[in-house]
Amino acid sequence: MKQKGPTLLSKDGTKSVLAALLSILIGLLVGGVIIVITGLATPTLGISGVWDGIRLVLLGIFSTGRDAAGALTFGFNSTNLGNMLFRATPLILTGLSVAVAYKTGLFNIGAPGQYLMGTAASLMLALGIPTETVPAALVWVIAFLGGILAGTLWGCIPGLVKAFLNINEVLACIMTNWIAANLVTWMFDGSNFRNLVENTKSGYIYKTTYNGVATAKLGLDKIFPGSQVNGGIIIAIVIAILMYILMSKTTLGYQLKACGANRHAARYAGIADKRNIVLSMAIAGGLSGAGAALYYLSGNTEFFWSTYQTLPATGFNGIPVALLASSHPIGVIFTGCFMSMLDIVGLQLTNLTAYNEYITDVIIATIVYLSAFSLVIKMLISGHGKRKNAAAPAAPAEKKAAAPEEKSASAGEGPQSAKGGNEA
Amino acid sequence: MEAENIIEMLHITKEFPGIVANDDITLQLRKGEIHALLGENGAGKSTLMSVLFGLYQPEAGVIKKNGQVVKVNNPNDATALGIGMVHQHFKLIDVFTVLDNIILGAETTKMGFLQKKEARKKVEALSERYGLKVDLDAKVEDITVGMQQRVEILKMLYRDNEILIFDEPTAVLTPQEIEELMATMKEFAKEGKSILFISHKLNEIMEVSDRVTVLRKGKYIGTVETKDTDKQSLSNMMVGRPVQLEVVKDPAKPGDTVLHVEHFSVPSKTHKRDSVHDVSFDVRSGEIVCIAGIDGNGQTEFIHGLTGLEKGQGTINLCGQDISHATIRQRGTHMSHIPEDRHKHGLVLDFTLEQNMVLQRFREPRFQHLGFIRQGEVRTYAETLIKKFDVRSGQGPVTIARSMSGGNQQKAIIARELDREKELIVAVQPTRGLDVGAIEYIHSQLVAQRDQGKAVLLVSLELDEVMSLSDRILVMYEGEIVGELDPKTTTVQELGLYMAGAKRMTKAGERA
Repeated sequence: MKQKGPTLLSKDGTKSVLAALLSILIGLLVGGVIIVITGLATPTLGISGVWDGIRLVLLGIFSTGRDAAGALTFGFNSTNLGNMLFRATPLILTGLSVAVAYKTGLFNIGAPGQYLMGTAASLMLALGIPTETVPAALVWVIAFLGGILAGTLWGCIPGLVKAFLNINEVLACIMTNWIAANLVTWMFDGSNFRNLVENTKSGYIYKTTYNGVATAKLGLDKIFPGSQVNGGIIIAIVIAILMYILMSKTTLGYQLKACGANRHAARYAGIADKRNIVLSMAIAGGLSGAGAALYYLSGNTEFFWSTYQTLPATGFNGIPVALLASSHPIGVIFTGCFMSMLDIVGLQLTNLTAYNEYITDVIIATIVYLSAFSLVIKMLISGHGKRKNAAAPAAPAEKKAAAPEEKSASAGEGPQSAKGGNEA
Repeated sequence: MEAENIIEMLHITKEFPGIVANDDITLQLRKGEIHALLGENGAGKSTLMSVLFGLYQPEAGVIKKNGQVVKVNNPNDATALGIGMVHQHFKLIDVFTVLDNIILGAETTKMGFLQKKEARKKVEALSERYGLKVDLDAKVEDITVGMQQRVEILKMLYRDNEILIFDEPTAVLTPQEIEELMATMKEFAKEGKSILFISHKLNEIMEVSDRVTVLRKGKYIGTVETKDTDKQSLSNMMVGRPVQLEVVKDPAKPGDTVLHVEHFSVPSKTHKRDSVHDVSFDVRSGEIVCIAGIDGNGQTEFIHGLTGLEKGQGTINLCGQDISHATIRQRGTHMSHIPEDRHKHGLVLDFTLEQNMVLQRFREPRFQHLGFIRQGEVRTYAETLIKKFDVRSGQGPVTIARSMSGGNQQKAIIARELDREKELIVAVQPTRGLDVGAIEYIHSQLVAQRDQGKAVLLVSLELDEVMSLSDRILVMYEGEIVGELDPKTTTVQELGLYMAGAKRMTKAGERA
């Protein structure tokens, strides 16, 4: 790896991909350690349970259950793969939401709130507009756009507050998240969208199929029979590509990034900094809203409307999805799929082994958590280049960071060399 | 008999991808001397000092202290060797008090508790002994830049450092503060401390140093005794060719009025008084008008008011249009602006050089089509500018601006602003922190612009620059224009009196 060093590693994209892969590996490794420890400590698991667990964490997506002898079998599992793509759809969009905001210098921790508002709007529209009079396809489009709009408006709020009152967007986002959580519950409470027919599910809203509205499958159900996948994943990928084009090819993206990287310089150059901050958050909000709309308009998902005490994890999971992709819109497609794959892997682990759902969550959370370290790892990889920058008059913070960076470099070598040993 | 060398850096080589920043450089610092390190921006001075301070590891070469080879792996090692450094951009924590900043990292503790009283005594003693006046309880964000530098110096003294590195210490100081600093440095040397003084200001080097080592483009050019050399030969060594230290220009041929400012005021953000009060003047095409004054007398606020970064009251007329209430972008149609703070306003540091080159122009049809940036055009344009204005960088148009040397960052801004071909050029301290080669270049560019019939409004704190470059001088004192002088008939002394507020003209222009 060292010989190729300067030329290959100096490319920023290579570094990002390498860092993401490394952090995933480290995450899997630590997850594996937890599997071993809990496995050996649990009488029902033992060595063979550990071996099953490790294989499932690595290859769970290809798991096809157990054969007659009780051994794990692996192969093409259309249900798993299809469900992975289905669950990746909202993750890709909330990941994009965080990534686009991050590229413009904003930390959008408000994705859960925007996601909730998008959910509420699209569900209400999809269930509220009678399909007897309006074609279901049109209702779908209206509901989808309504979800985007709701997310956009909700994202605008922290943007406006930041631009005009200079209040940190993180604070405003956290506030708007909880406002959304309570607002959505209030809106559904007493509404006739609650599923009272199947009264075992009184906490849920009807599936949109109740009104005949569902995302088109676009033939994906033929490729992945038995899964929930639908055309939403294609829409998500198209949006990701559009975001990539927006951010790196257009004058709008240029302005947004300029404002994010240096608001003062953007202002100096005559770019409307306030407008662009609001716009960034609006776009971010719209993306989260789109994620919610695609998930709940699928027709096979039910929304638990009593949200006032919880925020949707999909919103927060956008953060590791974006981080792992170094906020690159195209990278988000892959990291979104990776995160949803972990979801599926977790299910396999719970269903096929004696690892219960709680320990599975711990393992999956560990992998997600360490995956988010890709930024740190990227810094380590590019440590060499960064020093060169410090030679020029560097910002005070940078040189101070140089010392701790060195320490973490030596610490970071542990897992990396361990990984090397593993491969050998 | 040669004095003993306290620090020797022998045959240091430091490479970065694509560039050899230090190529076989030897630097010997004697005990008790002030040794100046001279070189253009990007010559490798900062890199060499970073090697000495343990921020970089050299590919080749050794560092010796008192003849013993030492290994400096990080700044802690450097501190242990008694090496202290005042960085060009101070390393202070804004929200800490001065005292906390000084003791940070070298706190005296007893059973885990800070012993601030002892620390305070020691700092007070040092501050008294060297005349380094600081307010120990003030927060760093509230004190002047000059005082911040004294805090940095006290930090080194508090750690009993005997080798003191000053990285371009005078760039941010007023003339008075520079004199004080020079005196302090001489005092240190007398006491046997050894000083490495990085600078490209020849006046200061001639005044304060004992020996000078010159670097050029990462190579060692030579070490000379200051008393055996002069400014001209030093600058020739530094740049590698004879340098014009004086500005050459013909008399101005002023034409029509380009900028007309009338009763213009900018309210202060912190005080009740206006930062800029009732300023009126004209700038005509084909002349360089300089606003002179001591830093902090309203020049920054005036320029911000003029360019639209801050709100002002009064009338501004540019090229016959009233722009008093125009947006920054509208003002930009006839005005280019070389800003005072190149990092805050001038560049988006995390953007590439080419992206920075079109910061105002990206909307022009040449650079975009239906909202899509014409990447090829931007690249070509950036390459043209880089060539035309000799902007040096590691990877050309795709270099990240942050990684460029200060001088080349400034050159990039100048290239961008001058190439926009606007009627009025506002240049605020365009040569701050630059070396003679770059200053010569920027001065000649501004004169060339003037000769093309542009109006140039220059703000400068450097008296030499004010006297040599301008055709007319306006002196600003406490937010007001207190005098209008002709550089040909006035003296530096007289200018100084106006700048200090000791003299002022009446409104009618009489010298009172």
